[in-house]
Formats: sequence, structure tokens, C-alpha cells
Amino acid sequence: MMRIVVVPLLVSLLLATGCATVTEAGYYWGDYSTTLYNFTKNPSEETLAAHEEELHEIIEYSADNSLTVPPGIYAELGYINAKRGDDDKALAYYEAEMQNFPSSRHFLERLVAVNKEAS
Amino acid sequence: MMSKVRTLSVVLLGFFLASCAEMQTKQQAFPAMYTDQKPVSMVIVPAINETTAADAGDLLNVTISQPFANHGYYVMPIPIVADIWKSEGVLEGDQLKGMPTSVFLETFGADSVLFLTINTWDTNYAVIAANVTVGLEYVLLSTRTNDVLWSYEEQVIIDTGSSSGNLLVDVIATAVSTAVTDYVPIARSVHQEAVKAMPYGVYHPKSGQDGAEQTVLTSSKEAALFED
Repeated sequence: MMRIVVVPLLVSLLLATGCATVTEAGYYWGDYSTTLYNFTKNPSEETLAAHEEELHEIIEYSADNSLTVPPGIYAELGYINAKRGDDDKALAYYEAEMQNFPSSRHFLERLVAVNKEAS
Repeated sequence: MMSKVRTLSVVLLGFFLASCAEMQTKQQAFPAMYTDQKPVSMVIVPAINETTAADAGDLLNVTISQPFANHGYYVMPIPIVADIWKSEGVLEGDQLKGMPTSVFLETFGADSVLFLTINTWDTNYAVIAANVTVGLEYVLLSTRTNDVLWSYEEQVIIDTGSSSGNLLVDVIATAVSTAVTDYVPIARSVHQEAVKAMPYGVYHPKSGQDGAEQTVLTSSKEAALFED
């Protein structure tokens, strides 16, 4: 079962920094994992703003190129807005996620219900 | 004469069996993924880090949704899920091991749950080269039946430096190129390797059509990376 694979750093960096790539499933991710990593390691207003901006950028690029916004992007924006107390915006983003991916409905509706109870 | 032929064919058969054992089609290897048990969605629990590399968990956690989503699965949003675990006092995936998988169905509505264990994360610095050896194990369980739907184990060696013939430059270059942020694309490509052995999910155009594709169960793929 063990498989040994060698991944050259240069190649992966090239792939990561190359021009806008759209995956076979039709998603564009921009710099998603880098901004998420920076925010996870060092949560601050700046790192959050950078990640939020990246999420918006992914949505814009996807709209311009008739792509489906990747799983979780709308949901994350909804969550960021919910934490700020902007429930209307949060619900609109959650709704967009559920439209694209009905599998998210159970979780997101539960999330909204729990938040309501807490407030 | 006859007996010689027979011996030869027995030997040949032996060869065939030996080589077949290493390759299987995806459908043979993971039959449940070609039934109605095939999940649409997955929730990924925080990585179980068996190594001393404290950063490894975060790195692999933030990079994991992208490759699995690209492979056609709905991945429950990692940062939101992570907050929920934190609020429940769960910081490491091993706290969730052994829990009835139906919990993940009830809480997240996810058809499957993915456990990731980091077995190795060894950074080797030499004067003229550096590399990181990453050993990972993935197990995907059905939240409806508790069955293992897919599993994969890999050992990836990532070269993070090369020789320019100038030792001082190399030492500096090595230190720079293994800075933490550089690991983000590496971590993603490590997951990418694992995902290749997995049947496509429903959001991928090739979903359901890859049953006959070969998947490598035991093989080592070495490549010359940097030529001096």
C-alpha cells in the first residue's frame, strides 16, 4: 500500500504561481490555500481581510468565466459576515452555497439555527 | 517436451500473478465507491499528527479541501468546521477516532468522513540539498454504514533545494526555499498525489467512468529532480 512519490519543489511552485488555472471539475481557486494558511497561523484583521478579498476574487473570476464557485467559498464568506453580525449578508452567501451544492444545506441551516439560539 | 512447456507456463503464470498484485483497477480496489454508497460530500477531521512537526497539521489541514473538491467531492468548509471542533474542545483528529460515524452525518449532513494521519514529516538539511519526507495515511469512512470506502498511504519525498556549485549560495537558498509559506503548494501537491488513486466524485466530469483505471497500490515512483 505504500507509495513513494517525489514532488519537485520547483514544479509545484511553477504550478502554483502560473497563470490562472481552472481545474478539470471547472473550479478556479486563486491563492485560496495561501491566504487561508496565513489567516489560520496568524489570525488578525489583516490576514482575515486578505483571505476575504481572495474569496471575493475567486467569485468574481468564476462569474466572469462562467465557472461554478468552488465548494465552501460562498459558505466561508457567509461565515465571516455572520461573525461580524451581518446576518442578511451571511444568509445570502449561505443561500448561494446551498444553490450550488445542496449537500451543504443540512450543515448551513444548522449553523444558522445554532447562531440564532446563541444570540 | 510436454513437461517443459508446462513448466514454462507455470513460471509465466507466476510472473503474471506477481505483477498483477501490484496493480488493480479503481473498481477492484474500492468497490463501494461504484455503488450507491459512493459519497457526494465529506467532512474532513483535523489531521492526526504523529510527528513532532507542529506546523504539519495546519499546513495539511488548510490545503486538503482543494484537491478533494477538484476531484469531484463536496468538502464541508474547513475553517467553519474547524471552529466547531474548537468550540467542542476538539483540537486533534484522534479525539474523534472511534466515534460512531453517524455523528458526522447528524452534525454535518456529510455522507463520509475523512481521517488523515501524518506519520512522518522529516526535514533533512544537507549542505548542498534539502528534502522533506512526508508520510500520510488517508481513510474515508461512510457515515451511513461505517465501512471504509477508500484508503491510501503514501510516502512523499520533496526536494526543497538543489546545488548550484556554490556552497554559500546553496545554504542560503535552502534556508529560503524551505520557509513555511513555500510549504503550502507542496502540501497541496502531496494531497494531489493521494487523490489520484481515488475514484472521481459526482462533481467531476469523469465521475463513474474511471472504474477500469489502474490504481497503484504498491509501487515506488522515483524521479531525478534536479540535474547538476
